[in-house]
Parts: sequence; C-alpha cells; structure tokens
Amino acid sequence: MKKIVKTTAAAAMIGLLALAVAGCGGGVDKKQAAKDTFKFGMTNFDDSLEPTENYFGWSVMRYGLGECLSKFDKQMKTVPCLAESWKVSDDKLTWTFKIRDNVVYSNGNKVTGEAAKKSIERTFAKSARAKAIFEYESITSDGQNVIIKTKVPVATLPGMLGDPLFIIIDTSVTDRDYAKQGPICTGPYMVKSYSKEKTLMEANPHYWGGAVPFKNLELNSINDTTTRAMALQSGEIDAAVNIAFGDLQLFQDKKKFHISEIGSLRDVLARINVREGGPLSDLRVRQALVSSLDRETYANVLLKGTFIAGGPYLPPSVDYGFDEIKKLDKNTYNVERAKKLLEEAGWKDINGDGILDKDGQNLELDFVYYSGRAELPLYAEATQSDAGKVGFKINLKNVDYNTIDGMGQRGEYDLMISNVLTMQAGDPEVFMNMYTRTNIDSSNPQNGGGYSNPKYDALGDQLIKEFDYAKRRELVIEMEKIAIEDIPNFVFGYPKTNMVSNLSITGAEILPCDYYWITTDIKPAGAK
Amino acid sequence: MSKKQVLARIWQIILVLLGISFITFALMMLAPGDPVRQMIAGNQDIMVTQAEIDAVRHELGLDKPFIFQYLSWLGNILQGDLGFSYMRKKPVFDVLMDHLPATLILAMASSVFMIIFAVPLGIFSAVHCNGPIDYFIRGLTFIGVSMPNFWMGLMLLWIFGLKLGILPIVGGRVGFDILILPMTTLGVVMAAKYTRQVRATVLEELSQDYVVGARARGMSESYILWREVLPNAMLPLITLFGLSLGNLLGGASVVEMVFSWPGLGLTVVQSITYRDFQLVQGIVLWIALMYMVINLVVDLSYNYLDPRLRKAGK
Repeated sequence: MKKIVKTTAAAAMIGLLALAVAGCGGGVDKKQAAKDTFKFGMTNFDDSLEPTENYFGWSVMRYGLGECLSKFDKQMKTVPCLAESWKVSDDKLTWTFKIRDNVVYSNGNKVTGEAAKKSIERTFAKSARAKAIFEYESITSDGQNVIIKTKVPVATLPGMLGDPLFIIIDTSVTDRDYAKQGPICTGPYMVKSYSKEKTLMEANPHYWGGAVPFKNLELNSINDTTTRAMALQSGEIDAAVNIAFGDLQLFQDKKKFHISEIGSLRDVLARINVREGGPLSDLRVRQALVSSLDRETYANVLLKGTFIAGGPYLPPSVDYGFDEIKKLDKNTYNVERAKKLLEEAGWKDINGDGILDKDGQNLELDFVYYSGRAELPLYAEATQSDAGKVGFKINLKNVDYNTIDGMGQRGEYDLMISNVLTMQAGDPEVFMNMYTRTNIDSSNPQNGGGYSNPKYDALGDQLIKEFDYAKRRELVIEMEKIAIEDIPNFVFGYPKTNMVSNLSITGAEILPCDYYWITTDIKPAGAK
Repeated sequence: MSKKQVLARIWQIILVLLGISFITFALMMLAPGDPVRQMIAGNQDIMVTQAEIDAVRHELGLDKPFIFQYLSWLGNILQGDLGFSYMRKKPVFDVLMDHLPATLILAMASSVFMIIFAVPLGIFSAVHCNGPIDYFIRGLTFIGVSMPNFWMGLMLLWIFGLKLGILPIVGGRVGFDILILPMTTLGVVMAAKYTRQVRATVLEELSQDYVVGARARGMSESYILWREVLPNAMLPLITLFGLSLGNLLGGASVVEMVFSWPGLGLTVVQSITYRDFQLVQGIVLWIALMYMVINLVVDLSYNYLDPRLRKAGK
C-alpha cells in the first residue's frame, strides 16, 4: 500500500515539476535588447474595433489607431488634428473643415475631403448615437475641404467631431472585418492582431505626423488592478493606465518609475432636492450642509490623495476658471459657520436628541448612493458622520446603480451622489444644463431636484447659441459662479487618473481626456 | 439506467432548460432600472440621451410586449440561433466559441490537478487516520478550503511572477505557461475539498463488513484498498466531481480576472452588468445544459461502475 501511495505521490510531484519547468521555458523575457516594442497594460472590456458601434471607438483612438478631424489638448480645448483649420459661415449653419494636405491612411491612400465625407456619412448610417450628437442637413466635399451643413446652429461641432465615434476611416476598403482587424485609419499604429485580451500593433509606415517611436506595440488587457501593478513592477509591461490608489505607493521610486497623475473630467456630484417643503429648499440649510463637510480631508486622507477636494462644478483639469471660482466658495469646511446658519434658519435641538428640529420635524435627509464606485459609500458615510456633528440626521440609502437615473428624475432623494462626466465632445454645455437648468414640462428631466434660476437658464440659453470659445468660457464661468452661490448641487471631489511608466520609456503622460493613451509622445528612453 | 430512463432524463433536461430560460428572461426584464440604458453605458456613468435609448430599444425589439420578445427569442433558439450580443456586437454563439476553449482547458487542467493531489492524499490520510500525517494533511486541506481564490491567485502571481520571475504575470492568451497559475489556484481549492471527501469516503468503506471479511480471508491491504474499497468509494466522489466540473465550465470569473485568462467567467459577469440579455440567456443555457448533461453522464457511469445498478436497470 505504502509503495503505491508513494509512487502516486511521486508521479504527482514530477507532473507538477514538469509543469513548472514548462512554465519557465515559456519564458518571461524581461530584457529587451532593443526597445522597439512598447508594452502597455490597461483595462478593456470591448470586443471589437468597429468605431461606430457602442463606445468601441474609444479603444480605436486609445490604441493610437484612429484619429478625428479635431482633438482635445491638455486643457480640453478643441484643437486641429486631421483638419488643419475650420470656419463657420455667417448663418452659423455651414462648417468647412480643411483637411491637411499630407494626411494619408495607413494603406497609403490620401485623406481627401471626399474621403472624410464618406467616413462621416458612414458613421451616421451605422450609429444611432451620431444623430443624437448632431444632425446634418448635407455633407459635401471640395478638394481637401469637407463641408457640413447642420439643421440648426451647432456651436461645438468641431469638438463633436473629435469624439471617437467620428474617427476618419478609409471607407474604400471593404474586404476587411473592422471588428477583428480594425478599420484603416490615420493613427501612428495599425493593427497586427486583435483580441479583447491582447492586441498587437505595428508602426504605420505612412504616418503623416512624423516618425513613429516604436516598431511594435503590445496592448495587454489586465483588468485586475493588482495584477496590472505587479506586471509593471516586474517589467513585463512598460507602462500602465489607472493604477489603483492603494498600489501607487509601489511606484514612488523616481529612479525606476514615473507617475503621471491628473484630475479627470469627472465630478463626484451630489444632487440636492431643493423642492419646497424639504429642508434643503432653504439656502442656509444647504450652505450649512456643505460647510459641515471636510472635503479636503475626504480627498487627501479618506481617499488617499486620489481625489481633489470639490468646489466649482467643473474640475481643475479644464480651463474654466477653477481657481477664480474656488475663491468665491464661502462654503468651505467650517463647523461653527454651519451651526450658525442652521440656527439662523430656525433649526434647534429642542428635545435634546442631538438632531436639530423645527416645527416638530427633525432635520433628516435621505442620502441616496450606489456602491458601484468605491468612493461613493465613503463619501456617504463621511457625510453622515460630519453633518451629524452639526445636527443633521443623514439616512443612507444604498441603491442599485440602475435605479439612480429614475430616482434622480423623480426627485426621490434629498441628496443623491454619483460620479459624472463633465465634458462631452470637449465642452461642458450638456453637463452645465443637465442637472441644474429649470425643468419645465419635462424639458430637462434630469433636474429632478427642482432647482430653478432664471438667470442661470438665461446664461444656458446664450451658451447654446454662442460660437466664440472665449465668450462660451465666460458664460460657463458665470453659470458656475451662480452654482457655487446657490448650491443647486455640489461637488464632493474630482477623481484623479494616472499613467505609470518605467524609465525605459519617456513621454507617458496621462491627459484629462481619456480618449488618448497611446501617442507618439511616448518614446524609448533616450530617443529624441 | 434503461433507455427509457435516459429518454425521460433528456425530456427532463429540455423542460428544465425551458423553465430556466423563461425565468432568466423575466429576471432580466424585471431587474430595476432601464435595461437599455444599462446596455449602452454599463456601469460607466456615461451620459446617455433619451433619443439614443429609444433608438436601441426599437432596434432590439425591446419596445414589444415581454411575452412576444420571449417567444421570438425561443423561436430563434429552436432554429439554432442563440441570438446576438449587443455588448459584443456579434452572435452569441461566436462569443461562446471565442471563450469556451479557454474555459474548457482551465476546467480540465484544474480537475486533473485536483485528481492528482486529492486522491492519493485522501487515501493516504484515511489509511493513516488520526496519525500525524493525517493531521498534517487535514491541516493543509483546511487552509486550502479557507483561502479565497483571488487571494491565492494574487499570492501565486506575487511569488512566481514578481519575486521569482519564473512565470508570466500578463495573461491574455491561452498558453501552457499562462495556464499553470490559474490551474493551480483553482486546483488547490478543489484538491483541498476533495482530499477531505476522499478521506471520509475511504474511511467509511474501510469500516464496512466486506473489508473486515477480506482481511479475515488474508487478502493484502493494498489489494483490499485498490480493488475493493476504492471502486466503492468512487461513486459519491464522481457525483461531486460532476457538479464541480459543471461549475467550472460556467467559467471562473474571479480567477480569470486575476490572471487575465480569456475564459467565459468574465463574459458572464460583464453580460449581466450590461444587461446583454441575449448573451446572458445563451450563457445561462450553456451552464444549465452542462450541469445536466454532466450529471446525466455521471448517472450513466454508475451503470458501469456499480454492477448492482446495471442489474437493476435490466
């Protein structure tokens, strides 16, 4: 018996050893003699490179495969990309985009006005989302110009055409499976092989923007954040996006790694129900609530510096007067002020239970949140604790993410927190109006909190019609000033995003707009 | 099992699949929130316009009555069309085929790993019952079943990938070197569970009268163990193994996530998150079918493993 058991055990051990040796043979080649391959770790849940379907265009752009007529710079301003310039007619209905003369697709075909026209038309033919972004009357071409006539004036059309949905592709190529091989585009890299888990790219020999830094690109989908960090530590990848805040400390050694971190375009926004009858209809109560919250500590301690403390509607990563508006914010953390404001508003703890009351009603708020994003429960609990210190009773309601939208529209909350994107197509117009503009006859259903300010609405109306960027910026800043004064909603914080790289490469910098990961700025160390 | 019984089981499988498909379909539709909004944005907090939601709702036929949608889906299934994944933008069958090979490989490899360790260790532990070796093995199995998959996976990655550097951390493909760590992660937990099971079953058999009789007749211990005890002990183990295999064939989402293994597990989770109802339906049908077919195979295997059942069947 013993012999048999021993033999079996020995066989098992030999089997395991063989597996391990085979594993070693499979080899992790950490040393790369010549840095001609850039290995990147990222999250990816998409399974297709067809830019007109779902949000797959984001991957096409992130991988350095596709480009649009316009793009967004570090401050989210819309700047030229494939189009070198654009202009709008006096009636604001006709836009003319002039395509650069030297732009070619990766197959060598020239990008003409006609080629761009066909690409945009294809997007409209295949994507319902395109029509939701803008509707055109006609698209024509003239040499290197593509001319778009819209049905109504669209002030932000150049920015809209920077959305990855409108990546310019060579529509003359029909014998290609766009989903698996990717479309023929103009970016610095082109697809060698694609799968959801791993994509291999190679340099586009016809790239119009100059030399492509790497011959090969390996894009690894590593969705587990800890695994992604380990892969970067081990040198299996050269750079990774969105390293978890708990893992960032592993990369603090500047002799080995470079951390690029920036505030994203997102807000953790608390929507407030200001309808009559609710305690938050009183501005003083809203001010007291916000003053009672130590948002700096939440960002720096609770969330370990991965957030920037909230203030103005729009994050500091975009050029909409963040510092100027922040200075106007009277509702920074000040417990004494909060208590005083509540007293002025008539709230007193008459029955001595620690909760303020007025006319027999406790100062109780329903705080709705969801757990899909790790920071939201933390913010909710911190609010419960801090606001409780000045006499609020906060009832936390953790709900399914899918119900947030409906509850928001129906106003079934006193406070509702969510993580929202502030810029669409490089412009904050949609966001500025979405939760704050007056909701008349369901014209703005997302404003379920009932806030209404004619001055704010008037600025919003002007914003829709204004084409000049500088003037638009001023309008947005004015709207933000009203919002910080009136507190129809408030911002808990702005999440940061990051890209971490080892020193075998340079130029791996994260941009606020997460359309761009792989750019020609990322080069082998020492390359010019 | 007679032919009639087998046919009855197949009918049972079809009825159960129908029931499961209906319940899954209903649950997807009854879940809170707007399924179409969820399909478009998942949990990504993307601003989705009502026009976009309405367009997709119409495109997918989700503006039609529930029962009509279900019957339409069922009609397609009967014609061999599992539907179309909105999230992946490809036929559900193709999505399944993309991920099944990896899932099958991982399931088989971890099962083999489990058998290699669990059977000898369980027998060894039973034979040396309440001895130091038995306590040691039981201790190990206790640790094994107590460790969460994801934690063990990360520890293995840390040791073999980061510290020793002998195995790759980056997965994303099906390869022998990539397979070792996820296989070990799943295999260790299963082996720990089955070692205890093998030990308990063998111990039970060892206390049976026929073993006492065999010993009295002077048969060797190894003969008794391998020829008499083990065949009897295997029957309950095969049933358990069938259930575990069925579970593995549905994908191991946590392990797949940690090791970037391109199996079905992550697809299952993602399809539910995105309310990709046709894909969910396809995957649920696959998992249910696997469970039932494997259990049917297990039941059929009894005929060969247990002569008493064979005779009863006749």
